[in-house]
Amino acid sequence: MTFNRRDFLLGTVAVAALPLTPIGHAAAQTQAPGTTPKRGGELIYLDAERTTSFQLTGSSFWQTSAVINHLLDRLVFKDPDTLELKPWIASSWSIDASGTVYDFVIRRGVTYSDGTALDLASVKRNLEWQSNGDKDKGIPRNSWFPQIASVTTDDARHAVTVTLAKPNAPFLHTLTSVKAGLVSNATIDASRETQAIVTNLIGSGPFIAKSEIPGKETVLVRRQGYAWAPATAKNQGEAYVDSITIIPVEEDSVRLGALKSGQGHALRYVQPSEEKPLVKAGYQVVGVRSPGTVNFLEVRFGAPFVDDINVRRAILHGIDRQEIITKLYTDNWKVATSVLAPGTLGYKDLSAKFAFDAAKSNQWLDAAGWTERGTDGIRRKDGKKLEINIYVDVYDNTSKQLYQLIQWQLKNIGLQLNIKETDYSSYPTVSSDPSVGLRRNGWPSEDPYTLTVSYLSTLGDRFRLKGEDKKLEQLLADHVTAVDVERRAELLGELQDYLIDNVYAIPLLEDSQVFVLRPNVRGFGQTRSYPWFYNTWLDT
Amino acid sequence: MPAALHSYTARRIAQTVLVVILTYVLVFFILFILPGDPIQQQIENPQNPIPAADAKILLQYYHVDRSGLDQFWIALRRLAQGDLGYSLTTGKPVASLILQAIPQTLALASTALLFTGVIAFTIALAAAFAPSSVIRGIARALPGAFLATPSFLVGFLLLQLFSFQLGWVSAIRDEGFKSVILPALALAIAVSGPIAQVLIQGLNRAYGEPFVTVLRARGLGEARIVLGHVLRNAAIPTVTLLGLTLGELLAGSVVTETIFSRTGIGFLTQQAVREQDAPVILAVVMLVSTVFALTVLVTDLIYPLIDPRIAARPIPATADQASD
Repeated sequence: MTFNRRDFLLGTVAVAALPLTPIGHAAAQTQAPGTTPKRGGELIYLDAERTTSFQLTGSSFWQTSAVINHLLDRLVFKDPDTLELKPWIASSWSIDASGTVYDFVIRRGVTYSDGTALDLASVKRNLEWQSNGDKDKGIPRNSWFPQIASVTTDDARHAVTVTLAKPNAPFLHTLTSVKAGLVSNATIDASRETQAIVTNLIGSGPFIAKSEIPGKETVLVRRQGYAWAPATAKNQGEAYVDSITIIPVEEDSVRLGALKSGQGHALRYVQPSEEKPLVKAGYQVVGVRSPGTVNFLEVRFGAPFVDDINVRRAILHGIDRQEIITKLYTDNWKVATSVLAPGTLGYKDLSAKFAFDAAKSNQWLDAAGWTERGTDGIRRKDGKKLEINIYVDVYDNTSKQLYQLIQWQLKNIGLQLNIKETDYSSYPTVSSDPSVGLRRNGWPSEDPYTLTVSYLSTLGDRFRLKGEDKKLEQLLADHVTAVDVERRAELLGELQDYLIDNVYAIPLLEDSQVFVLRPNVRGFGQTRSYPWFYNTWLDT
Repeated sequence: MPAALHSYTARRIAQTVLVVILTYVLVFFILFILPGDPIQQQIENPQNPIPAADAKILLQYYHVDRSGLDQFWIALRRLAQGDLGYSLTTGKPVASLILQAIPQTLALASTALLFTGVIAFTIALAAAFAPSSVIRGIARALPGAFLATPSFLVGFLLLQLFSFQLGWVSAIRDEGFKSVILPALALAIAVSGPIAQVLIQGLNRAYGEPFVTVLRARGLGEARIVLGHVLRNAAIPTVTLLGLTLGELLAGSVVTETIFSRTGIGFLTQQAVREQDAPVILAVVMLVSTVFALTVLVTDLIYPLIDPRIAARPIPATADQASD
């Protein structure tokens, strides 16, 4: 399956492609949507979470990145429709045969919102800052960035040449990320605490952060004279809306009530059960899936019973993914077909390797010696009960029901999934406990490099294999330095096979981000699943 | 007895300071023992984990790599200079977060207290003196009903009706005083139950006492007897409760503030606790413990003004009972 525009579903039926002509069902029948964008208006966007620190190179929580997405331009643009890399601040680029020298021709005439020029010196400084961080100020480097050997500028060609310490195939994709956004000297010069405030994040993007009431609202206003949009953006001038007000509303019912009563235009996240009624009522329900990793369960080695591959295989085949979609979700969601999502470089459909087959699961568990059963139907061996611990994922509002259904499915093969809950702040620590056998991972990402960041023993080591699996280490590392794209795709294919064949990862669903828009919101767009309101306008 | 009053006041203030200090120390070390904090969250952020080598900068910057005692001294030294530090989650100065939240909570708490007073007194007077037994019965049932209704439900019903249906007020934006009314009402309904209950009992008891007969014999009107004398006699336990309620309201209401998207002390507390944002939690705890101790103190000092007989008795004993 290839990733195409039909994957951005509108409501329960794919009626149109985004972001060109979003049409809500009922609205489409009663009122023809305008086609000429209108300028003006205040767009009110309701997120489920309040924003965190805006220090750019450090953390990157979803809701914060969604704001930054409107403030900062990047060297390279990943077109959300074609997934191709397109010029933005870099008007063209080339890579040498060794894969270490990147040459970027920089667009002329771009300025930051504080009036300073986005010139060669500024690009150079940004790249060095991203790669090195600023230790004295407690500012970490962008952990996705490769080590940079040197950056030189060429005034005549208006170009910047970056020499990497070693080849880094994800680099161009890394440059498309929100975190790699270009900022003015004023931001880089500021202290860590100053950088944390959104109004001090000075970029060249189509919006400027004007004000913030912490926890209450963030107001972005249109950048006057913006004329350096990505090459393939439909809008090439200033943004259409005058301002975007971003309001965190934690309560699901209040967020939805506010949107329905016209107090907001767009929101992120509704309960899947709400989606159909909303479409019927004329709202646009937009389920966005974008490349990266799917939602999967990672195996935490060293925890009871998961070291046995037969147990892992039994889980992999014991989960009925289609039933999960049918019972808990909507057509805006899809079953995973690999560890990577469709559209990601090297994506390989491996669904045949983990089709639901309870009989097979039972055979594997029998083969592993889990033949006795307790009165509860759960298998026993040497007096021990076959049980695996998991913590409800705090970053996904639907994960509790998801785990409960999986728990029920696995009970049928005689395995008990113990679902535990913890609070938001303790989750990273508590879910890392050695007694926890499975943990949720997998989100949209610029590049499959995210697997390397998570699982290479010298980086995340989230399988906790401590580098013992040399083959895995090699697969995680090799694709990063593979200069040839075809070769890299091949290596990534091998990596996916390896993760599934050895059941290091148990794929569940493709990650979906669901947005609800009022019928008059036109031109809603997304990049990497973050909302992108640059092309958005408000119809009457 | 001004001398006794002074020494009593001084002692209560000293107690208040001690309570605040002990709370700070206790909370500091509890937070230290608990797993997880915003820095760890950033490092282990599953969507973008920071490798150990890069994370070291953060751990050093926030002194998380030092011992608990070391971190405690660093925090104390900063506190002595009036520096409350920065939120670990948002990077904002804690002092500015608190200063932003206080007016929000003050507006909500004072309005809610006013509503509480009106609701509780109306219910209590109706329950004790309404001419119709039906109305008295209804009024007597109300406090229990209020207590049994969860405040998030009240809040959501108010929003549903006045914001989503009638569109009189925004559910998500701050429109000044208009935005205070609904949450204040939700809060008042939540806290007025016990106050009304206590006042009803007080009124019934006081109304049965001999002095009422004496007043009636003197030819005073029923209204004067009730409003001028019975109410006053019944008010003491109610004032104690009102004082405690004020403390509660000033500490911020987590549920009400969350539902009505208000960024007062309750919201700040909820966010900080959720993320274990230690500097913010510590500042909020200090603020709230100070406010609580002060309201209890002020309540105790008000008694003599209502009932002069209290001042004639040894004050500390009465006050201590009241604050129990």
